[in-house]
Amino acid sequence: MILQIALLIGLVGFSVLAILLRDLLKAAISLAAASIMLAMIFFRLNAPYVGVFEISVVAGLITVLFITTIALTKSPSDVKESRRPLIIFPLFFIAFIICDIFIMKALLQAGRPMLPGSPGTQPFGVVFWNERTFDLVGQIAVIFAGVFSVLALFRPRGDKHD
Amino acid sequence: MTSTWYLYMGFCAALLFIGIYCLLTMKNLIKLFIGIEIISKAISLALVTGGFVRNNLALAQALVITFIVIEVSMVAVALAIIINVYRHTGSLDIRKLTTLKG
Repeated sequence: MILQIALLIGLVGFSVLAILLRDLLKAAISLAAASIMLAMIFFRLNAPYVGVFEISVVAGLITVLFITTIALTKSPSDVKESRRPLIIFPLFFIAFIICDIFIMKALLQAGRPMLPGSPGTQPFGVVFWNERTFDLVGQIAVIFAGVFSVLALFRPRGDKHD
Repeated sequence: MTSTWYLYMGFCAALLFIGIYCLLTMKNLIKLFIGIEIISKAISLALVTGGFVRNNLALAQALVITFIVIEVSMVAVALAIIINVYRHTGSLDIRKLTTLKG
């Protein structure tokens, strides 16, 4: 229980760092650290497949994409962020956490019944490969759409067809 | 886990707040996208927690893996758009994206 809470606090802490740090590279690395925390939480929740995906894809691939983008958009004149949102963030965040604690406590005391549903008995492989048909096709379509979009966006200029 | 799932949902809400605050206040395009990533982490955590509570983790994992794949596609396209915006305007500041004004 203590480990779970420590991981959750680490996840929120690294996420806060990712938005508060002015250096984009450090912010991207904080985001990767938050992903690793999330993956460890997934392992603790008995969801190892998602944990592996989270570490390899989100903490690995997306961080590489972020760092590549930061390297390609190195600007001498940095974006001037207003300091006020960063200064008042802790106040808003603490107020939100207090509201959050009260709401969750009230929900816990009310003891609301969960939504009806049957527990799954089939193993992960059966659910992942056999129970999905059209969403798998949609997922492949999304991947191809992403690939072609990136190709279209990085098309070399200069060839005028007019 | 009978009552700790409220704790998980509370942390999901906190992550959602951080992401939305980032989207509302930041001016850097990459920072805005980091905010979207934080929101997606909150959604993943909420889905897996829901699956764990309902004892239906296989379906929750399948959903989250689909979500991660779509997220990667979205990240690739969005970062390509950010690089193109930088080439056009020379900056990552969203305040300079005013050329689309009608």
